Amino acid sequence: MQSVSSMTSMDHFWLIIFCAIVAFIPRFFPLLFFTKRAIPEWFNEWMRFVPVSLFTALVVKSVFIDSKYQIMTTGNLGMIISAILVGIVAYRTRSMTLSVVIGLVSVMVFVLVFHI
Amino acid sequence: MKKNEPNWLMVLRTVMPLGLSYIPIGLACGVLLHAAGFNHLLTALISVMVFSGGAQFLIASMLTINAPMTTIILMMFFLELRYALLGSSLSRYLKGQSLPFIFTFAFSMNDENYAVNYLKFATDKHWKPKQALLVEHYSLLFWTISNIIGSLIGSALTIDLKVVDFALTALFIYMAIMQTKSRLIILVSALSGVLTIFFLVLMKSTLGLVVATLIASLTGYFIERYLMEHKPESHLLYKVHDPTRQSAMEESDE
Repeated sequence: MQSVSSMTSMDHFWLIIFCAIVAFIPRFFPLLFFTKRAIPEWFNEWMRFVPVSLFTALVVKSVFIDSKYQIMTTGNLGMIISAILVGIVAYRTRSMTLSVVIGLVSVMVFVLVFHI
Repeated sequence: MKKNEPNWLMVLRTVMPLGLSYIPIGLACGVLLHAAGFNHLLTALISVMVFSGGAQFLIASMLTINAPMTTIILMMFFLELRYALLGSSLSRYLKGQSLPFIFTFAFSMNDENYAVNYLKFATDKHWKPKQALLVEHYSLLFWTISNIIGSLIGSALTIDLKVVDFALTALFIYMAIMQTKSRLIILVSALSGVLTIFFLVLMKSTLGLVVATLIASLTGYFIERYLMEHKPESHLLYKVHDPTRQSAMEESDE
């Protein structure tokens, strides 16, 4: 993964502004509306499944799919083992920091030392 | 808790574990944003304006694969949609606050300071919206400074990005595990994984992520509705054991 971005700083600036708007809308409007009225049931129930689906999709993409959108068959064993390890740590400790730090150390050992 | 402790110090003590945990993650995020071509000022700006670990990591990694701006913004929309849920669950504690307050509060709310505030509101009846806002601003300060330092480190040292990029994966695994409260959610997660591979390979675009997320979450929603109506005793609706029992507190409040 090397830096090959073709965007300029000005593009990045606008990207930040748009992302900030997109990030702000779901933070603000539900908070504003639901200080006054009740949350629709179906929305709440659907929302319970959105984050976990998205997080899994992102994890699967980074562990199993390469930059040409093909299934990785070599070079990702270290990541697979590290991902399982992070899952166990997250489940047992519920600590975000421990999960991230142990994941980083594990991937460092597997990728940089064992080259798998 | 000491009675005459000043408010700012008491709130700072509440936010300290979160603030410290932001340091390694913020550093990694700053390094990646730098690699994605952001200068220090833009990194500071995005940390304040977007203020979400997952989102910033995602922007950085999508920029390095040259994803088009519209795809990044669409992915951001789905990633940030979950805040609708967080916001609506906090709203009952913010009744009667002014519009500018709600605006400011929403602007700096994210997963982690939400968790701190939700727990405080649920367990401490003296916890005030103003203190909750201060929690957000302290965490914002820790996050932004860590990001800027990460960006500076990234410009000074050569770092293996494949390794730092795994911080994002680890963060998402953690967030997925924290969401896994029933067996049905495990099924939805597995379905999402399979659909992700299928649609990414098929569509050759990050939009595959969006399609997989929508299908998996809607499937989960309809399976749950069906089971609630026809098979309320189904094993799929069983709760997943939480070894630290943190979630027991949130559940009892609902």
